[in-house]
Amino acid sequence: MKLNERSVAHYATCDSPPDKTGFLFKKGERNTAYHRRWFVLKGNMLFYFEERDSREPIGVIVLEGCTVELCESVEEFAFAIKFDCAKARVYKLAAENQAAMESWVKALSRASFDYMRLVVKELERQLEEIQDAAGAGGQQSRPKLSRRNQVVRSRSGASSSSSSSSLSSSSSAPSMAAVYSAQKSLQDEVQLISGSSRENGVAWSKPPSASANGSAEAAPSRAPPVPPRRLGASLESPVSPDTACFSKLHDWYGREVEELRAQWLQSQ
Amino acid sequence: MRFNEKELVCLSRQPSEMAAELGMRGPKKGDVVKRRLVKLVVNFLFYFRTDEEEPIGALLLEQCHVEREDSQTFSIAFLDEAERKYLFECDSEEQCKEWMDSIIKASYEFMRKNLIFYRTEIHRLTGKDPLEQYGISDETRFQVNSGSQLMNRDTSSL
Repeated sequence: MKLNERSVAHYATCDSPPDKTGFLFKKGERNTAYHRRWFVLKGNMLFYFEERDSREPIGVIVLEGCTVELCESVEEFAFAIKFDCAKARVYKLAAENQAAMESWVKALSRASFDYMRLVVKELERQLEEIQDAAGAGGQQSRPKLSRRNQVVRSRSGASSSSSSSSLSSSSSAPSMAAVYSAQKSLQDEVQLISGSSRENGVAWSKPPSASANGSAEAAPSRAPPVPPRRLGASLESPVSPDTACFSKLHDWYGREVEELRAQWLQSQ
Repeated sequence: MRFNEKELVCLSRQPSEMAAELGMRGPKKGDVVKRRLVKLVVNFLFYFRTDEEEPIGALLLEQCHVEREDSQTFSIAFLDEAERKYLFECDSEEQCKEWMDSIIKASYEFMRKNLIFYRTEIHRLTGKDPLEQYGISDETRFQVNSGSQLMNRDTSSL
């Protein structure tokens, strides 16, 4: 299979700051001796170089769908990167001391794109909760999501008519606790999305300001566009032509009304 | 450069919301448009011959530039070789916009910026670092500036 290798190698050596660097011993594939290599972790890519000042990496390990475990080895401070696919290779590495080993295991366990996405989603949800709780007068501080970027957090496959409970979210503990356990067992990440469905029903009625253009440069006062959704997530939103289900629309409207009413009562 | 091909092929089989048949043209002179099944999984764009299970190739979507070429066509170029463009022909303007948007957001670096934004905002609004309770505050990848830490009540460091 082809890969845009030149550009990938460029990513390794370009000036974007790496997440971790250091020497590790890597067990060879054919020659089973351990070789000392310079490792550079960037995002979900673990590059290894012959020397610290080598201009190009010898290779890269894509850290997606893997677990990092301590392993039994003659070699001290050894750990392994294991993949969850048929006939996958096990990458055996060894650090120079206990602290380095622990630090690398931690860093590599959290290196996947999926993990990052999970954490981002969780923070996004938390921010929304905080902004919702800010209530009357806090309307302007909501992220002005353009129609394109509205995300409906309905659980894949589940119909969601009981959305009124979601404002007072009780799901924060379970979902983030689940993230915490993801640090220990990465393979469960798919199930970690909160069980209760939430819909972004309140933002739609506010006229969106300049729509997010998808650019990676987020204005400081505006939330950046949301990362891509996982398979199965609904694309329905209050203003999407795809939202054919009236009861859903009705619920969204209902929540809006409920909120306004609460605000009005507060101001009396 | 070596890479864990088997595992990458395995990754290409994961379900994806963004998968479609598009016209694709490689960056080399003389490359022609071919119909490919193009699939976005995490920060990789895989492309398959339409009737095959194993991808022909993958593009890592970091340090890349996505550009509109015409109403239904977009291109991806990598920062180190800006003139070499991979071209993608969509079936509609809508589809083209959707793909461009998804690809721009599909980079790890983009997500990192999102995370830093949310972390900073939450800290600003609550005085608390949302990552602290999960024990990941010190992770390099979550830092506002590489290496600098988020201190409670001290937003000047942000």
